[in-house]
Amino acid sequence: MTAASAPLVSIQSLHKSYGPHIQVLKGLDIEMKPGERVVVIGPSGGGKSTLLRVMMGLEKIDSGAITFGGKPYISSSDLAAKTVIDTEVRRSIGMVFQHYTLFPHLSVIQNLVLAPCKVRGEKKASALQRAQALLERFGLGAKANAFPAQLSGGQKQRVAIARALMLDPKLMLFDEVTSALDPELVAEVEQVILQLANQNLPMMIVTHDMWFAKNIASRVIFCAGGVVVEDGPPEQVLGAPREERTREFIDRVFHIKQ
Amino acid sequence: MTLDFSVLLRFQEALAVGLWTTIKLTLICVVLGCSLGFLVGLARTSPSIIVRGIASVYVEFFRGTPVLIQLFWIFFCLPLVLGVELSNLASGVIALTLYMGAITSETFRASLKSVGREQLDACIALGLPRHVQVVNVILPQAVLRAVPTLLSNCVSLFKESALVSAVGMADLMFVGQNISNNTARPVEVLTIVALIYFAIAFPLTRAVTLIEGRILKKLAI
Repeated sequence: MTAASAPLVSIQSLHKSYGPHIQVLKGLDIEMKPGERVVVIGPSGGGKSTLLRVMMGLEKIDSGAITFGGKPYISSSDLAAKTVIDTEVRRSIGMVFQHYTLFPHLSVIQNLVLAPCKVRGEKKASALQRAQALLERFGLGAKANAFPAQLSGGQKQRVAIARALMLDPKLMLFDEVTSALDPELVAEVEQVILQLANQNLPMMIVTHDMWFAKNIASRVIFCAGGVVVEDGPPEQVLGAPREERTREFIDRVFHIKQ
Repeated sequence: MTLDFSVLLRFQEALAVGLWTTIKLTLICVVLGCSLGFLVGLARTSPSIIVRGIASVYVEFFRGTPVLIQLFWIFFCLPLVLGVELSNLASGVIALTLYMGAITSETFRASLKSVGREQLDACIALGLPRHVQVVNVILPQAVLRAVPTLLSNCVSLFKESALVSAVGMADLMFVGQNISNNTARPVEVLTIVALIYFAIAFPLTRAVTLIEGRILKKLAI
């Protein structure tokens, strides 16, 4: 395998269940190349969000492994039924959640500088400067000293994206980041993510917004029942799906939208 | 019955000294009790079943028995068990601190639990080490959420502190009882003493409501 085609992320035979009866991921295999923007779509409960949470190390797995940049960083140990996570490798990945998860007791700029200062030991002055520049870029320059409760949903989500970017992630995970937003606030958040896409930041996005998926994806994965049902370029999966289950889902979703 | 509140004018100074004792006692026990309550609150979330068990027994015992009995036990029985002399100040401070520790530990425990799972997720996604998660994210939010209930706990303690008069500590209640006995004017004296307690406790309870509103707004919960 040449360096150019070496996968950025490789997910191998991932199994994950909640308790003995609910199996969410049933042997997922996904390879993501550098520079790819993968959008994961599918019905609720199909394992999309769980996949992202597992990749971030927020959930234990039953079996399988994930490598990042060739290094295995999440694996299961059969001996102690434990999930082994390499936190150093995991730090190359940033994640933004549906419900913002900003720290409510800290101002916007403090939210941004906490991790760089505490995780990397960056000097406060330099972190503040970078944070301010990032906020300006996202149209939030005037909100640096506001508290999260004083912001709109769209502003909160843009702050959450900026906070993740402060750590210079090599891969961004977006978990239904516009689902909790009022319709008129969705565009401002999607605009920011498109900005990042234009800089070739690799990302994996879980979304229900098919129009956004079409605009941003370099590849779309349709996930249902804990397995990958269809995987291909957006024109195929969203436009002319090969699998019956994908077609049904796409028809239903687009029908509702129109 | 004719009321004559002017008898109290002669005892202004004694009442002031009594009130000062009550306030001092309350403040000391608030500081010690909250510190104890904070540690016990943490202990009750400890992974060790022994630590959790000891903390639970302590909290349930002190929440489940009258403060007056706790106070009497510490004043009369503890010296017999330990073979040491305890002043009424010492036993008052010990009893009220243990009581305050038990009730505030519940306040701290509830507020620690109220910091949601998603805040922890955010910490992990940002790669924050465990001590940073606790010191910079979880504890500040927990303490902030605990403040209104803690203030209510303090107001309760201020009122409960009148019990120390039963072991002969010269607090506001004790002084009031003395004056009432000496002047044979219980209605006037005890009414004024009650009003003094009220004049301090009432604004504090109003402040609690105000502060609560502000904190809830800030944390947007």
